[in-house]
Amino acid sequence: MHEMPLIYVGGIPIDLSAVLMLVVSCVIVFVLAMLAVRNLSVENPSKLQNFMEWVVEFVQGVISSAMDLKKGRPYISLGLTLILFIFVSNLLGLPFSFITEAHEPVTIFGHVIEATKHLAHGDHAEILWWKSPTADINITAGLALIVFILMNFLGIKNNGKHYFKHFIEPFPIFLPLNIIENLAKPVALAIRLFANIFAGEVLITVILKLSVVSIPFLAIWQGFSIFVGALQAYIFTILTMVYIAQYTIHEEEAH
Amino acid sequence: MTIVWTNIVFSMAAFIILYLLLNKFAFSKLFGVMEKRRELVMQQMDEAAKTREQAVAYVEEQKQALQQARQEAQQIIQQSQVTSSNQADRLMEQAKAEADRLKNEAVRDIANEKNKAVEALRSELGTASVRIASKLLEKEVKTDGEQEQLVDQYLKEVGGRS
Repeated sequence: MHEMPLIYVGGIPIDLSAVLMLVVSCVIVFVLAMLAVRNLSVENPSKLQNFMEWVVEFVQGVISSAMDLKKGRPYISLGLTLILFIFVSNLLGLPFSFITEAHEPVTIFGHVIEATKHLAHGDHAEILWWKSPTADINITAGLALIVFILMNFLGIKNNGKHYFKHFIEPFPIFLPLNIIENLAKPVALAIRLFANIFAGEVLITVILKLSVVSIPFLAIWQGFSIFVGALQAYIFTILTMVYIAQYTIHEEEAH
Repeated sequence: MTIVWTNIVFSMAAFIILYLLLNKFAFSKLFGVMEKRRELVMQQMDEAAKTREQAVAYVEEQKQALQQARQEAQQIIQQSQVTSSNQADRLMEQAKAEADRLKNEAVRDIANEKNKAVEALRSELGTASVRIASKLLEKEVKTDGEQEQLVDQYLKEVGGRS
């Protein structure tokens, strides 16, 4: 099993691989977006601008399927950032991964990597540096936590007492069930995204063990992984919008 | 799979920073341009509709103008027909009057000439008869036989002259 390059800086654990991959994802998304809006033109858009506008319209379609687009307008940016970030993150682990093998304690920035600390003589640890950031449950949990905080905050802000009333509906006895439902949403989001991408990468590793025979399988699986990456980004975005719609929009005819 | 709480924090921070940066530097501009394009398309469609209306109105106007021109042409033709027939009538009348005048003049001239000729003949006849009478009177004085002969001779002369 591959280990994460974890170091302790003043008692705070830092996963260098996660930090690296997050930065890489953010930089790629940001550069892509900046290239797309570099020479904005109303009448003669560039190819990249056209692509970006297509993505915007796609996200608008996603939002309008969950709620009224007039109310959903402020969430277009959120949906765009989510779909681009998750899609790019999902793809990052596909072309290659970067693993170092350590036989003795490895020090980086003056701190020892945890996994190599207690290596006995002859043992070795494989440290995974380059992977999909979304193949790490911590990172998908972070994203899901943002969605969780956002949907509850927006629900309280826009819906007021209806948000709280919603928890004891249809009967007060449903209160624990509703709380579990609320909590289950981010957990499901995080685990679904993590499991899909992680499984994809594990399978790539497994296929690679077949050496030369692996090439056609790898080609097929990588193609499918691109599809899965896009699909998971879409699912994460649309579920976010559905959850936000569920908590923010007070349906009159339901009461 | 290990839970590292800092990773959760890092990913949240990374996502929020990315969201803020994209929102500020990329998406707001992109949305602006898309909105502008939407307005442009609406404006152009409006303009096209307006232009079409104008074109229809213009065609209508042209049709009316054509109709008017046709009517005018018809009028002019009718008018010219009337005037030409009028003119022809007038010319005919003029010609008739002229011919009448000429005829009248000629008739008067003829009458004049005839009168003059009659007058001249009358005076000639008078003088001739006077001369005959005087000749007859001269001969009668001489011989009877010869008198008859002379009268005959002069009468012949008169007949030959007239």
